[in-house]
Amino acid sequence: MTLLTQILENHATLATIEVTVLWSVVTVALYIASKHFYRRYPRWWTAPLVVTPILLIIITVLSHTDYTIYIGGTHWLVALLGPATVAFAVPIYKQREIIHRYWRTLAIGIVCGSTISMVSAWGLASMLGVAGSLRLSLLPRSISTPFAMTVSGEIGGVPELTAVFVILTGIWGAAFGEAALYLLPFKSSLARGTSFGLGAHVVGSSKAREIDPEEGAVAALVMVLTGIFNVLIAPLAEVALRQ
Amino acid sequence: MFTTIYGRFLGLCRQWLYRSRFLQICILIAFWYLGQEIAQTSSIPIPGSIIGLFTVLALLYTGILHISELALGAEWFLAEMLLFFIPAVPAVLNHHEFLGWVGIKVLLIILLGTIIVMLCTAYIVDFCFHHLEKHPPSKQS
Repeated sequence: MTLLTQILENHATLATIEVTVLWSVVTVALYIASKHFYRRYPRWWTAPLVVTPILLIIITVLSHTDYTIYIGGTHWLVALLGPATVAFAVPIYKQREIIHRYWRTLAIGIVCGSTISMVSAWGLASMLGVAGSLRLSLLPRSISTPFAMTVSGEIGGVPELTAVFVILTGIWGAAFGEAALYLLPFKSSLARGTSFGLGAHVVGSSKAREIDPEEGAVAALVMVLTGIFNVLIAPLAEVALRQ
Repeated sequence: MFTTIYGRFLGLCRQWLYRSRFLQICILIAFWYLGQEIAQTSSIPIPGSIIGLFTVLALLYTGILHISELALGAEWFLAEMLLFFIPAVPAVLNHHEFLGWVGIKVLLIILLGTIIVMLCTAYIVDFCFHHLEKHPPSKQS
């Protein structure tokens, strides 16, 4: 319950049934509509990941809805990130051949990549004078949302802000990866897949799958393993950050 | 006689489970709940969802659960994951500081940080792939 209780502690009072039904229906309808729209007009800027959050923000602003009320009615959707995390067991099991064959390279890549991700965010934030819970919310931005929000809460960041940073990272990482990784001499699909999965989580791995199925499989696997690794080391990171 | 009927009944249940996405979703939720309970009662510093994930993985590896008993449900959860975290996004409205310099700085951190991470990771893994792995597969490009 950690993530859910944290969001509720940060914000919500309990919502009435009408509020719950209204905002749940609005959110789900918006999501379904933007998925249909994307199916008809597939561009990067019509992706549900881009369109749904923007429309949702516009609607809440125009209707003068306080976020506290909104999340009070829709937190049950956020709670489903828990079982979604459990569901990641299936892709790990399906890709177990890759783990058995390349476990050394994957382990080194994930440990180094995660460290670079955290250290670079911390360093850049400190250089630009961003501090406090905002800096902490930036640290887990490159891992998949359910893991990132958990880590963010654990190290003292704001999980909701991390969710936004995760989306931005994914969109940018997929675009950058597509443009840059092919200009550079990285020949193995293992290297490119790991880079996509570690740097740009779900968005990156679906981009990788578009380019090459094997690369996509590596990216999806690395994304999950990196998420688990980050959640497991989060208590350690928290101790280190306090000092 | 009784055992064969019971066996056929179990077989039918299994067939039903293979095809029912809804049932598989319920099973995944049940494993998540189990993980939460374990995390709360045992005070292990690991989130319940991760405990649930490892439980399912262990059951898959030991053959107690078959991949077809979860594949449809897991596919649904992973495909619709966006729906589960968009309710968190309007929280930015409570942070007016993003409209000014702070927003630009945060964007810069994300853009630069992602470039650094992706290039370094690709370089490290490429290096390991050529120096650590003894038999690189024929498909390389």
